[in-house]
Amino acid sequence: MPDSDNDSGGPSNYAGGELSSPREQDRFLPIANVSRIMKKALPANAKISKDAKETVQECVSEFISFITGEASDKCQREKRKTINGDDLLWAMTTLGFEDYVDPLKHYLHKFREIEGERAAASTTGAGTSAASTTPPQQQHTANAAGGYAGYAAPGAGPGGMMMMMGQPMYGSPPPPPQQQQQQHHHMAMGGRGGFGHHPGGGGGGSSSSSGHGRQNRGA
Amino acid sequence: MDNQQLPYAGQPAAAGAGAPVPGVPGAGGPPAVPHHHLLQQQQAQLQAFWAYQRQEAERASASDFKNHQLPLARIKKIMKADEDVRMISAEAPVLFAKACELFILELTIRSWLHAEENKRRTLQRNDVAAAIARTDVFDFLVDIVPREEAKEEPGSALGFAAGGPAGAVGAAGPAAGLPYYYPPMGQPAPMMPAWHVPAWDPAWQQGAAPDVDQGAAGSFSEEGQQGFAGHGGAAASFPPAPPSSE
Repeated sequence: MPDSDNDSGGPSNYAGGELSSPREQDRFLPIANVSRIMKKALPANAKISKDAKETVQECVSEFISFITGEASDKCQREKRKTINGDDLLWAMTTLGFEDYVDPLKHYLHKFREIEGERAAASTTGAGTSAASTTPPQQQHTANAAGGYAGYAAPGAGPGGMMMMMGQPMYGSPPPPPQQQQQQHHHMAMGGRGGFGHHPGGGGGGSSSSSGHGRQNRGA
Repeated sequence: MDNQQLPYAGQPAAAGAGAPVPGVPGAGGPPAVPHHHLLQQQQAQLQAFWAYQRQEAERASASDFKNHQLPLARIKKIMKADEDVRMISAEAPVLFAKACELFILELTIRSWLHAEENKRRTLQRNDVAAAIARTDVFDFLVDIVPREEAKEEPGSALGFAAGGPAGAVGAAGPAAGLPYYYPPMGQPAPMMPAWHVPAWDPAWQQGAAPDVDQGAAGSFSEEGQQGFAGHGGAAASFPPAPPSSE
């Protein structure tokens, strides 16, 4: 999918441009991903300076190292070699991130459920599809999943909004008066994804993610 | 309700009150009303955020684990930078992908509160520094930003200018009579329901709504995928869905 490659290349190039070398780049999560998550925490008309993005980028790496170090110490004390999810949850509790543990426990529980379903060769479509595909085709599966999400999005939107907000006052938020450059880029990419052959923005997102994965393996 | 007016109508009043009010009240009396309401509003915003995250985590689905917000390979590399780390289970980077998302969201919300206090619409490095300085659990990050960056700006609505970061930390506790840092799980609910927090309009609460208004079907799909993964899963079970996608 050359189109997908181009889409995924953009963020990578941007991230590469920001950091001096591939080695340096490995120390941080991609600034485009970090920036996208930051935007979700802010009002639509807020802007984020480059300095703020880079600072949060550094903070995230420090957070990973901080939690991992504590979990690793625990594994060594208990003569275990492998750090698992429960070790990370324990470390977060110990280091004061109690608020994170409850949502993450649910998340981990769901992950293990889905892994279990896959291992059991469940009769669900997603499970069967995942079980039947070879590794090279997994990306295709991911794209297909994205396509499904895209297919459902128009119908699911209103219902989802009602379920999430549960308050009429949020039913119709005012459109943002101004858009950031990055937002524009995001919308444009999504728009391209929506045309004809590609299943939608969701598919584009999947492709972008896959692109990152491929690049990392290549490096 | 006073809280209803505070975000916009109250801001000038708070700024006005902030200027003459000393950073560290001499007496142990209660702080000025605008200050108190602003702190309460901030607590309510963070509580709404955590309540939402708990709901969201329960709706995680297969597509969530296939389309992470953050690359797992990079997370694994950062974990492995520590030489003591030997083996990492497959679930560890997956869990970290979600944990880092929560971390970024919380740090960004706390930083934005500082930008708002200074009446700016652009998040800056010193807002992140201030959030780190004010939050105990972020102590491990103090070396990431220079000390000077964390100083309060003059004219801040909360009147912390005189004290600087250390003074602010010292003053906030006794003066406010409120736990300024991590609100404990069992903290009493704010006067108003969390969902009634006025004028707080972050994207995570709106889901895909803003993109819908912009009329970009593609963007909506992508946002929908992130925000409504459960519905994506439901779509997978629809008989006609696979042929359409193919």
